[in-house]
Amino acid sequence: MNREGQDNDRKSGQFMELLSRLLMNKAAVIGLIILLVLIFCAVFADVITPYDYAAQDLKNRFVSPCYAHPFGTDNLGRDILSRVIYGARISLSVGVLSVCLSAVVGIILGAIAGFYGGAPDNLIMRVMDIFLAIPNLLLAISIAATLGNGIPNLIMAIGIGAAPTYARIVRASVLSLKEQEFVEAARAVGASDAQIIASHIIPNCLAPIIVQMTLGVASAILSTASLSFIGLGIAPPTSEWGSMLSAGRQYIRDAWYIVTFPGLAIMVTIFGLNLFGDGLRDALDPKLKN
Amino acid sequence: MSRILDIKDLSIHFLLKSGTVKAVNRLSLSLDEGETLGLVGETGAGKTTTALGIMGLVQSPPGKTLGGEILFDGRDLLKLPTREMRKIRGNDISMIFQDPMTSLNPIDTVGEQIAEVIKLHNKVSPAEAAKEAQKMLEMVGIDGSRYNDYPHQFSGGMKQRVVIAIALACHPRLLIADEPTTALDVTIQAQVLDLMRDLRDQMNTSMILITHDLGVVAEVCDKVAIMYAGEIVEYGTLRQVYKNPCHYYTKGLFASIPNMNEKVRRLTPIKGMMPDPAALPAGCKFAERCEYAGEGCGAEQELRDVGEGHLVRCFQCRKQTGVSR
Repeated sequence: MNREGQDNDRKSGQFMELLSRLLMNKAAVIGLIILLVLIFCAVFADVITPYDYAAQDLKNRFVSPCYAHPFGTDNLGRDILSRVIYGARISLSVGVLSVCLSAVVGIILGAIAGFYGGAPDNLIMRVMDIFLAIPNLLLAISIAATLGNGIPNLIMAIGIGAAPTYARIVRASVLSLKEQEFVEAARAVGASDAQIIASHIIPNCLAPIIVQMTLGVASAILSTASLSFIGLGIAPPTSEWGSMLSAGRQYIRDAWYIVTFPGLAIMVTIFGLNLFGDGLRDALDPKLKN
Repeated sequence: MSRILDIKDLSIHFLLKSGTVKAVNRLSLSLDEGETLGLVGETGAGKTTTALGIMGLVQSPPGKTLGGEILFDGRDLLKLPTREMRKIRGNDISMIFQDPMTSLNPIDTVGEQIAEVIKLHNKVSPAEAAKEAQKMLEMVGIDGSRYNDYPHQFSGGMKQRVVIAIALACHPRLLIADEPTTALDVTIQAQVLDLMRDLRDQMNTSMILITHDLGVVAEVCDKVAIMYAGEIVEYGTLRQVYKNPCHYYTKGLFASIPNMNEKVRRLTPIKGMMPDPAALPAGCKFAERCEYAGEGCGAEQELRDVGEGHLVRCFQCRKQTGVSR
C-alpha cells in the first residue's frame, strides 16, 4: 500500500472506531436514524411534500387524516404533512445555526477567559454568570422582543442565551490544558497566544463541546418552537412547528390533528437529538461509561 | 569563534505573597558558537528558571527578571518586544523540555507538529513545510512514513526524538536542552545523547545542556557551570572542573558518585539540604553544608579566577590557591 493509502487508513481508523462505538449503542442508533430522516426531510422538502406548504384550499378545511392528506388539513385548508416537513427545515436550520453562534461566541470567550485568567477572566465569566442567572427562554423572549421577528433575529435570540454554557465548558478545559507542557513547548518554538489557543488548546477541548452542541440543538429547537408559539419567532405563513401549534390550539376539540402532528414532530426531534447526543458522549469518552 | 550568548548579572525572582523566592541570583554565563555548556546542579538550583529566562518564558507574574542582560548575538533579549522575541524562539533559540511524554500535543500528528514550527518561522507552503518536516523526522532516525502518526503511537525515546526534531527544525543557533534524558531509561538516554551530539556537530549549533547527571556532561559538554542556590559556584572547561574541582560543592558532587572499581557499601552524600530560596543565607550559600566552612565564608563571595578562566565562588578555595600560587 502506498503512503497516501496508509494515511487515510489511520485517519479514518479513528473515525471508524468512534462510529462503531456509536453504532453499538442502540439508543444512539435510533437517535441517528431520526436525525437522518429529519435532515432528509429538511433538504428535500420541495421534492417530497405532496402540496405547497402555503397553498390554501378553502374547500378542504379541517379534513381529518385520510389518503389525500395523511395528517389532515388545517383551518385554512393547508396540508399539515407538507407543513410539518417544511417545518423541519426551519427548526433544524435555526437550531443548528443558533448553536453554532453560541458555540463560536462561547468558545472564544471561554478560551480567552481561561487562557489569560485574572481580570479578563473575571470580567467575562461574571458577565456569563449574569446571562446564566436569567432563564434561557426568558432571555430569548426579551431579545426576540427587542430585535423583532425574522429568522436571523431568532437565531441571535436563542444563540446568545446558550453561549455561557459553552464558555464555561471551554474555560474549564483551558484551565487544565494551558498548564500542559506542550503549550509551553509551543511557546518555546515561537507560537503566539492566538496560534496556541487556535491550534493546541481548542482542538483539545472539542469533545465535550461536540456533545454539548448536539444536545444544544435540541433545546434550541424547543426554544424556537416556544418563541413561535407566543408569536415572537417565525411570522406566518412560513410553517414552523411552534406557530402551527399556536394557530391550531383553538381548534383542538374539533380538529385534534392540527396540533398533534407538529407537537409529535417536536417531541420526536428532541427525543432523537437527545438520544444521539448521549450516545455521542459515551462514544467520545468510553471511560465514562465503564 | 564568536560569542553567541552572554548573560550578565541575571536575577530572576518569584514575587509571592508569602515572600520572594530568589531562584536565580546575579548569574553570568557566556557561550561561544558551536560550544556546549553543561549546567549542573541539584533540583531547585535554578537551572530551568535560567533556561526559561533566556527564552523569555518565565511566567510573569509571579516571576520577575530583575536587572542584568542576556546578550544573544549582541542583542539584549530582555529588552526585545514580545513580537521580536517570538521570532527568535524556535528560530534562533529553541528548547527541549524534560518530559517528552507531555511536550507533544496528543491530538496532532507528529509531522504536523514539526511542520508547525517551520511554518511559523518561514514563508513556505504547507506542502513544503510537510516535506521539510519529513526530512527532520528522518534526520532524527524516524521513518518518514510515520509523519501521520500520533504521539501516543510512539515510545518515550522516539517522542524525545520528535521533540528534538521540532527544536532543530529551523536550524537554531542555540539549543537549550532541559534535562532531555531524565525521563528516559539508560539505553535510550545514550541513543538520544548520541543523536543530539551528532546533530549539534552537523548543524554547528551551540547548546546549553541542563542536567544533574555529571556523566552526561562529561560525554557531551565542552564547558561546565555548576549551579547552587541560584548562583554559579564553579565554571570552567570540562577538564578544569572535572580534573581539578575547587568548590567544595563540586567536590561533594563528585564524591557522591560511587567508584566503579571499589566496593562501596554506602554512598557519600552531601549532608543537609539546599537552603530555601525564599530565605537565602548571607555569604556563601553552601557554607552550612560545607565541612570546610570557616571564618570568611559568611561574607558575600565573588566568582574568582583560579587560573585560565576557571572560576570558583569559594573563600576556602581562594585561600588555598592564594597560598599555593
